[in-house]
Formats: sequence, structure tokens, C-alpha cells
Amino acid sequence: MSDFAGMEDLLQDFLQEASDLLSDVDNKLVDLEKTPDDRGLLNDIFRGFHTIKGGAGFLNATELVTLCHLTENLFDRLRNAELGLTPELMDTIMAATKGVRDMFGELAQGVQPHPADTQVIANLKGALSGEAPVAAPAPAVVPSQQPAAATAQGKPGEPDWNALHAAVTGQPVAAVPAAQGEVITKAEVVAQSPEVSPSVYGRRTADKPGGGAAPVGRRVEERARENTIRVDTSRLDQVLNLSGEIGLTKNRLTSLRADILAGKRDSETLHALDQAVSQLDLLVSDLQNSVMKTRMQPIGRLFQKYPRIARDLARQLGKDVELVLAGEETEVDKTMIEDLADPLIHLIRNAVDHGVEMPAERRAGGKPEKSLVRLEARQEGDHIVLIIADDGRGMSAERIRAKAVEKGLISEEEANTLDERQSLNLIFLPGFSTKTQISDVSGRGVGMDVVKTNIQKLNGSIDIRSEPGKGSVFIIYLPLTLAILPVLLVLLGDQPFALPLSLVREILPIEHDKIQEVGGKETLVVRGEVLPVISLARLLGWPLERHPEYGVFMQTAERSFILGVDSFAGRDDAVIKSLEDFRPRGVAGVTTLSNGQIVLILDMKELLSDVSQHLDVDRGMRALAAFA
Amino acid sequence: MAADPKMRFLVVDDFSTMRRIVRNLLKELGFTNVDEAEDGAIALQKLQGGGFEFVVTDWNMPNMDGLTLLQSIRATPSLKHLPVLMITAEAKKENIIAAAQAGASGYIVKPFTASTLSEKLNKIFEKMAQG
Repeated sequence: MSDFAGMEDLLQDFLQEASDLLSDVDNKLVDLEKTPDDRGLLNDIFRGFHTIKGGAGFLNATELVTLCHLTENLFDRLRNAELGLTPELMDTIMAATKGVRDMFGELAQGVQPHPADTQVIANLKGALSGEAPVAAPAPAVVPSQQPAAATAQGKPGEPDWNALHAAVTGQPVAAVPAAQGEVITKAEVVAQSPEVSPSVYGRRTADKPGGGAAPVGRRVEERARENTIRVDTSRLDQVLNLSGEIGLTKNRLTSLRADILAGKRDSETLHALDQAVSQLDLLVSDLQNSVMKTRMQPIGRLFQKYPRIARDLARQLGKDVELVLAGEETEVDKTMIEDLADPLIHLIRNAVDHGVEMPAERRAGGKPEKSLVRLEARQEGDHIVLIIADDGRGMSAERIRAKAVEKGLISEEEANTLDERQSLNLIFLPGFSTKTQISDVSGRGVGMDVVKTNIQKLNGSIDIRSEPGKGSVFIIYLPLTLAILPVLLVLLGDQPFALPLSLVREILPIEHDKIQEVGGKETLVVRGEVLPVISLARLLGWPLERHPEYGVFMQTAERSFILGVDSFAGRDDAVIKSLEDFRPRGVAGVTTLSNGQIVLILDMKELLSDVSQHLDVDRGMRALAAFA
Repeated sequence: MAADPKMRFLVVDDFSTMRRIVRNLLKELGFTNVDEAEDGAIALQKLQGGGFEFVVTDWNMPNMDGLTLLQSIRATPSLKHLPVLMITAEAKKENIIAAAQAGASGYIVKPFTASTLSEKLNKIFEKMAQG
């Protein structure tokens, strides 16, 4: 079933390392477009393909070897200035790189790659032969033959080392047996006519309506999850160190237990026990942190794929776009990085496709023709913030409202009550797409709602700012890690619920004579600020048996409010377990308390979510109440 | 001739997958005393630290390539006797000539199997035994 039985480890290693290498090559290609004569870049790219070819040979991935070999030869010519880099050639190279990536996708599925697109191969060969010095025998290697010979293992294709050695140390080189005779069959190279080099993009676009065969390979690759992770050895050492310390503390506890069981219960022993337990406490939380850190990866590994995607898309659309990256070193949980790949690609495509104007329009608007799309990551407190900003045409709240009404997503009355930010957020509704004409690239009316759903699955949120004519900014907030969440445990009656501590500003007693009714809603003035009081019992759809005695001052990205509860059970670092098949709206997951009790972790943003709040909350809460 | 299984190898390649492949092949042949270096410059530093008896190096690497490494080894009195096996995906005649001229002890074209590696190593061992 797998073509790589017995080589799975090797394959995994190869894919991880080679994918990094290829992403690096991709970025260097984007740089190369700006500085086509940079020898350093040309050398690096040459080496990239060369290295991938070498590894692919061991996996017997003949087709991959062929493709890399052709591309490598092309770069050999380029770096020796035997060929000039034309835009057509760049397209060919980009298509070849994409071909290599597609093949990685096939390898990740455990199958030998299929031959590369014949057009790409023809273009590569055309480029190689087009300006090839016809008389020079040595560099005109025919790649399609060479790897086959090499994989069959060396003997026939391999040069005769001893003869050559003898040749250079004694006899004239001319006397060397023509070891490569088989390899050099120039005829085939020349047979490829050089005019077979239409723009690959032209062709790809033409393919598209037929069902979009081209992206399949990449899809496959995107879906394949990595099973391996690279961890800085110093972090692993720390884990090792801590587990050693924990072992020592455990020994101390074992000996103390023996003492205590033997009747030694003096204050000194108990003090030692107390000390050992607190030390264990500290060490275990350190260990948890260290283990967590081994899962943290710089987000740059994800970012590095995007300049190429943005560039390809911009070219296809006839736009001039540069994707600027910042904060690549920001570390994010590995799982999160994988789950962010799709939403970010979508937002970038969206920015290039819908956000950025055509060069003529930009010129007319007094903007530079080249537009900048910025992708930035940074850590703010215990959150990761991702920003995708473009300097394009921006979004008009009014137009979005009109569109949503026209599509029947909201009613005219609802539209009139929405402020600017709420209006912009309408684009996250399923079935919304501002472009009347569905574009080939990013708009099929699905997407933005999926982006939002995916971000929410990561316990994150997404926000938009936009100014017509100036550009749009998408801001994604994500928790630092998915695994551990500091929570506040509140009680309704004797039922505890967990609230994410990051949203809690303070806890205050509710004095009922201080509650004021404003517009039929209960509010409380805290230091001059009027805050709505929302009873948790009411939110959950429980009968309100008594007035809440305590308020939790909570602040989400959207609003501040006071959540009314009966009492508190303390705070805890909850290890979130997700509810696999049953996830009522408003519940982020469950956790187990130290006494073994199971507690629901509430998702406040979802409980109070703005746009669809009135549609879904009641239903969700009934489900939750049934579950609780 | 039987080579000493404790012989200390240095495997030089910028691609860690490839280092692992070579290391595994050497292990299959009974050589377990293997160290690695990511490029020629690091390799040279390790070699100058002493203790190595055999170098297996890739050609194309950043910072210092395999050929330069080979030339540096041959130009260093304390290292010049070291056997150096060049591994490369390059089967071009000029490359092989260049390696031979620089004093490579052997040349292997990727991809290769344990038996090819063994054959090449044995040839070098034989030569070493002859002095």
C-alpha cells in the first residue's frame, strides 16, 4: 500500500527537511525577480534543487529526480551567466517549483510521484536547449536519462573513477573511457523546440473551469499533517533536567512516607514533607511549561510559503503586490500553526484578489502601483495577534450592508441597527461575497465564514478594520496555547463552571440596591462606567432562583460586562478536553478538577457573540443546560 | 581487508536527511563511530580537533563546499593523510576530474546503496594498507 515500506522514517525526514528547503527556494525566487543577477541567490537556489534531487534519489523518486535535475541544470546555466532570466523563464521555474511541491504531496501520501506536467518538462528542456552551446559535450546532459541510469544503481551510468584518476595523474584526459557516453544524447534535448513556452499561468487559468486539476496536488500536501516536530535541543534538555529533579523529589517523598508510616511524625518530618510537596508542585508546573514549549514553533515556518502564493496570484491577476512579513520568530503551538495555514492563505488571497486594486486604478487614485500586503505576528500578553493588512481599496460598510440585505442574509431593519464594525463583520456570514462576479481565485461565496469558523475552533477571534480607499486590516487573536487555560471557577448553586481567566478583570460583590435599570436592562456603575449585569443563570437558560451575589467584571474584545454568579470555587489551570461529538454553543470544552469533578469551560465570546447572538444562543443554551 | 569497526568517520553534508542516510549505510557496514558536520567549515574545525580517521563529504554545501574542504585537508600537514570520499549527485566528468586532482580518495554518485559504499570504502582501505 505504501511505496516506501521500511523507509517511512527516511521519507518523513526527507519531506520535512526538503519542504523547508523548497519554501526557502520559493522565497529566494521571489527575491530573484527583484535582483535577477544575484549570483548568491542563484547559487542557493541551485543548491536547493541539487540537494532535493540527492535525497529523492535514495527514495527512488525518479520523477522528482528528473524534475529537480532539469531545474538544477537551468540554474547552473543561470549562475554561470550562460542564460538570462526572462519573465517566461521565471514562469517556467515557478511552475517547476510547484511541480516539486506537488510531488512532495504525493510522497506524503506514500506514493511515488507521477511524472511532472509534460508542458513544464518541455519548457525546461526548451529553455536548456534554446541557448545551449551546441558543440559543448559536457554540460548538455540529458536529464531524463541520467536519473534512470543512476537509480538503477550506478554501475552503467557511473564514471569509472580509477580510469579518471589514472587519467588526471598520468595519461591525457582524452584517453579516458567515455564513461558518460550513454548519458549524453544531445539529440533529445535539441528536439524540444524552444518556442514551446507559453506562459504557464495562461495555461493554468485555461484549465481551471474544467474542474481545477492543477491545485489537487497542493491540496493533498496541505491536508497531510506532519507527524514529526523539530525541537531545540536545549528545550529537550530542560525537560530531561526537570524530569530528573522530579525523580529526586519523588525519592524524597518515598523516604518521608516510610518515616511517617514508621511513626515518625515530628514537626521536622512534616515540615520536610510540606517542602517536598511544594517543590514537586513547582517542578511539575515547570515541566508542563517546558513540554508545552517543545510544541511551540516559529510561525515563520508557515509564513514563508506565502510570499510565493501572493506573487503567483498577483501575477495571474495582473497586479503588482509585495507581501511583507514581520514577526516570523513569534512562537505558536504546532497544532495551531497547521490549523492556521488555510485561513491565512484565504485571507492573503482575499487581500490580493479583492483588497488590492488593478495598477491603473491605483495610479488613478494617486497610489503607488505596487501595493503592499503585510502579514504580521506578535505576542501580546498571553495572546498571539496576527495581522493581515493591505493598502487596497478598503471596504464600505454601507455597501456591505446593502449586499447582505440583497442576498437575504439580514433584513433591512437589522441592517439599519448595525454600526460600522458590525457591518464589516457581515462578510463572515455564510454565503456572503462582495464581488458580484465570482473570481477564479478566492471568491466562490465560501471562505470568509470558514475562516471565522476555523479561527474560532482555535479559541480565537477575528476582527476587521477598513477605510474605503485606504485599505483593510484583518486582526486575528489567538490564545498562546490550546492545551492549558487558566480559569476562574464560579458556582451557580453548587454547580461549578470555568471561565477563561484572561477575560476576568475583577470580582465584586453585587449590592442589589445599586443595580439600575437602563432601557429594561440591569446595569451597575463601576468607577463611573455603566456596565450591563448579565446573570450567568439566565445566559444558560436556568431558572433565576435568587439574585446573583457576586459579579465577575469581564472584558471580551467586543464588550465589557458583569457576569452575575452565586459564588466562587477558586482558580485552576485547566487542561482542556474538547467534547468530541457534542459541542453546544458557548462551551469551549471540559476539564477535571483536583477532586475529580467534571466542569464545563464556558466560551464567553460565543455566549455573547454579536452578529448571530439572537439567532443561536437560546438554542445552544438549552442544549448546554440539558448537558449540565 | 578487514577495517577496524571502531574507525571514526566524519560525515559532512548540509542536508541532515542525507547525513542520516550515510550514517545508516555505514552502520549497516559495521561502522558505528560516526560524527556529523553541516558544512566544510564546521567539518574542518572538527577535524582539526583530531581523532578522525575517515571523511565522507558532500560536494555542494554552503560556507565551504566539499572540494574546498578536500583541498584544505590536503593542505594541512596533520590532516593530509586522511582518506576523503566525495559524495555528490553530480556525475559530470569535470567534477570528477576536479575531485581527483584535489586528491580525493574516492568518488560516489548519489544515490548509492550500502554495497556500493562498502565497495568504495574497501578500495580505499586496500590502498591505505598498501601505504
